[in-house]
Amino acid sequence: MNRASVHLHVVPEFSPGLEGVVAAQTAVSEVDGANGRLIYRGGYLIEDLAPSVTYEEVAYLLWHGDLPDSTQLETLHKHMASARSLNNSARGALMSTDPATDLMDVLRTVTSAQGSAKTMVKPSLDQAIALTAVFPTIVAAAHRRRLGYDVVEPRDDLSHSANLLWMMEGKEPGVERVHWLDSYLMLLADHGLNASTFAARVIASTGSDLTSAVVGAVGALKGPAHGGATLAARSMLDKIGSASNAEKWLRESHARHERFAGFGHRVYRTYDPRAKILREMARTAAPELHRTAARTEELALAILHEAHPERPNATNVDFWASVVLTGAGIPKEMFTCMFATSRVVGWTAHVLESLADLRIIRPASVWIGPEPGKKPAAIAKR
Amino acid sequence: MSSYVPGLEGIVAAQTAISMVDGANGRLVYRGYVIADLAEEMSFEEVAYLLWYGQLPNRAQLERLTTELAASRSLTPAATIALDALPKDTDPMDVLRSVVSVQGVEHKLEKPTIPLAIHATGSFPTILATFHRRQLGLEPVKPRADLGHAANYLYMLNGKESSPELVHALNTYLVLLADHGMNASTFVARVIASTDSDLASCLVGAIGALKGPAHGGAPSAVMDQLEKIGTAENADRWMRAARKEKVRFMGFGHRIYRTYDPRAKILKELCARLNPKFYELASKVEETALQILHEEHPERPQATNVEFYSAGVLQAIGLPKEYFPPTFAVSRASGWTAHVLEQSGNNRLIRPQSEYVGPEPRKPVPLSERG
Repeated sequence: MNRASVHLHVVPEFSPGLEGVVAAQTAVSEVDGANGRLIYRGGYLIEDLAPSVTYEEVAYLLWHGDLPDSTQLETLHKHMASARSLNNSARGALMSTDPATDLMDVLRTVTSAQGSAKTMVKPSLDQAIALTAVFPTIVAAAHRRRLGYDVVEPRDDLSHSANLLWMMEGKEPGVERVHWLDSYLMLLADHGLNASTFAARVIASTGSDLTSAVVGAVGALKGPAHGGATLAARSMLDKIGSASNAEKWLRESHARHERFAGFGHRVYRTYDPRAKILREMARTAAPELHRTAARTEELALAILHEAHPERPNATNVDFWASVVLTGAGIPKEMFTCMFATSRVVGWTAHVLESLADLRIIRPASVWIGPEPGKKPAAIAKR
Repeated sequence: MSSYVPGLEGIVAAQTAISMVDGANGRLVYRGYVIADLAEEMSFEEVAYLLWYGQLPNRAQLERLTTELAASRSLTPAATIALDALPKDTDPMDVLRSVVSVQGVEHKLEKPTIPLAIHATGSFPTILATFHRRQLGLEPVKPRADLGHAANYLYMLNGKESSPELVHALNTYLVLLADHGMNASTFVARVIASTDSDLASCLVGAIGALKGPAHGGAPSAVMDQLEKIGTAENADRWMRAARKEKVRFMGFGHRIYRTYDPRAKILKELCARLNPKFYELASKVEETALQILHEEHPERPQATNVEFYSAGVLQAIGLPKEYFPPTFAVSRASGWTAHVLEQSGNNRLIRPQSEYVGPEPRKPVPLSERG
């Protein structure tokens, strides 16, 4: 189609938010909203992976297209463990910021500095591994600086999740907490063409480098409408306080036309499969908060159903993720960073996938401004 | 669900009143004004005002904006520390991406506003000039509030004022590149803004996109190719041989314009005046490239793009070629921020769909049984 006709004559269909518009073909993951299924690369359903597969295995899966055997997994472990340290540029960027800086801003900045280079390098699997491996180091260091503690250096004998808790706390975590955090990280690792993944793919479509794509994705995930939802869910649960207070709080909040945090999703028409897994895990991970959350969910869904009977069940992953992360000992200020720490695998997998058939993503726009061609007035006459 | 269109070509992703690329008629329109009517007359500040506020400023408004931009030229202490921590041979685009990120850090999420847009735009030249001087082992030069955006950028780079002719040339370049419809970097900025994220995040993403060779990374490639061709006499022979080996001609081809890019036309004239040596070679290379491209694809339009003569203009101004892409960013920062403000003013999360092309669902094999 002739682009000018798009602008001037025919008014083509505009779908705000590109809702329903296909912007990529991918084999990395598929959100099958109608059936409530999330499929990871290779064709695996999330509920089949969750009970037995670690974050590192999922990373391997999303990058390579199939699950690793034990030798391949061991090689990946070693590779990631050796890539956990910050370089001098990143240390400088980390130390430059005020300790009270938003943790996502620190992550965006330090990732950018860590990936700064003399010449442009095409995205590679090695870089994907390096970026994924270093995210926990950045967020743990930013967290400790915020608290006024010294930074704890990474250890290469621990798993990705265990090392993350180690760097945050300076002591080795128990196996259960590692498992909860690891489950969260593998569940959130990819999710179709969400806004941050899409941002990463658009950046990569210009032939830019992997760090640029990931830094842009971090920026998108920072937005409250995207990565901020887990924190919002936990903050709501904090305000509710207890299961017995849930009804009063939710009714009053609904009467004020406030949105319930942790409910609603553009894609799923049935219960989000990740939320289901996390809901079960929350029982043991954070029993008390689970009780408040379960009651809140029950009431919120009832209230939402009363108001909009035509809409589907709408608990989203953020709601139950906030409870499991709490059980894993993650402070709520770190929730969005944890999301990024997980999703970096998906971002990099999408960028690597897109290289096979790279084409600049440059959509059209519709002109809604004044009729072109007016002559500028001289400044004295304005 | 619509079918997949690679690159989203022809798919409308936004409604905008900021700029329009009228490819059929070879027009670029800023807020209703055709670029040719703005390019040689307006300062970058006037055009930035136009993009942000939707109309040209009167004298008082322009004075206020000029003062605000000038007051935004200092780096924060954090940005200075982060900049000094980067190795001297770092790609200036990576420097810009990192330091804009630090410069924009905050304690709490702030909604994008015009003052924040001014603040960010004001700082780009300082970041680049400071780093450039560091590369040369020179002390940074303090910004001067009495100079315009273009003049001050050159002053901070060189430590002395440039001639009015060079300042005018840079200003024209900055005006011409300030916005260009829904290009990839602007689109990224809007995608990031659509999550209600902050302005620095949008800018950092946009810089990352502009870095790509298919977007802003091209002007230095133009220089590289011209250097290889060497002389006007050599152009035809070199280019025909290169074409046999499927070498792309740098600075040609555009998805949108069906006629000569109006920005390239203005830059070509500027280049002829300022950089005759470059122009002699470049115009011959252009003629040859268009001839060869026409022979190969007679149905395609004239294809000289804005990068081609930008290279000659920026070289005449005295910029090293690694500074061509980030100087593009100095200009486009105004457009990016205007688009972010427009997006957040009438926002909806940009979350397109993907089409799954992987295998049908199957069960995982336990680790011990794989291999």
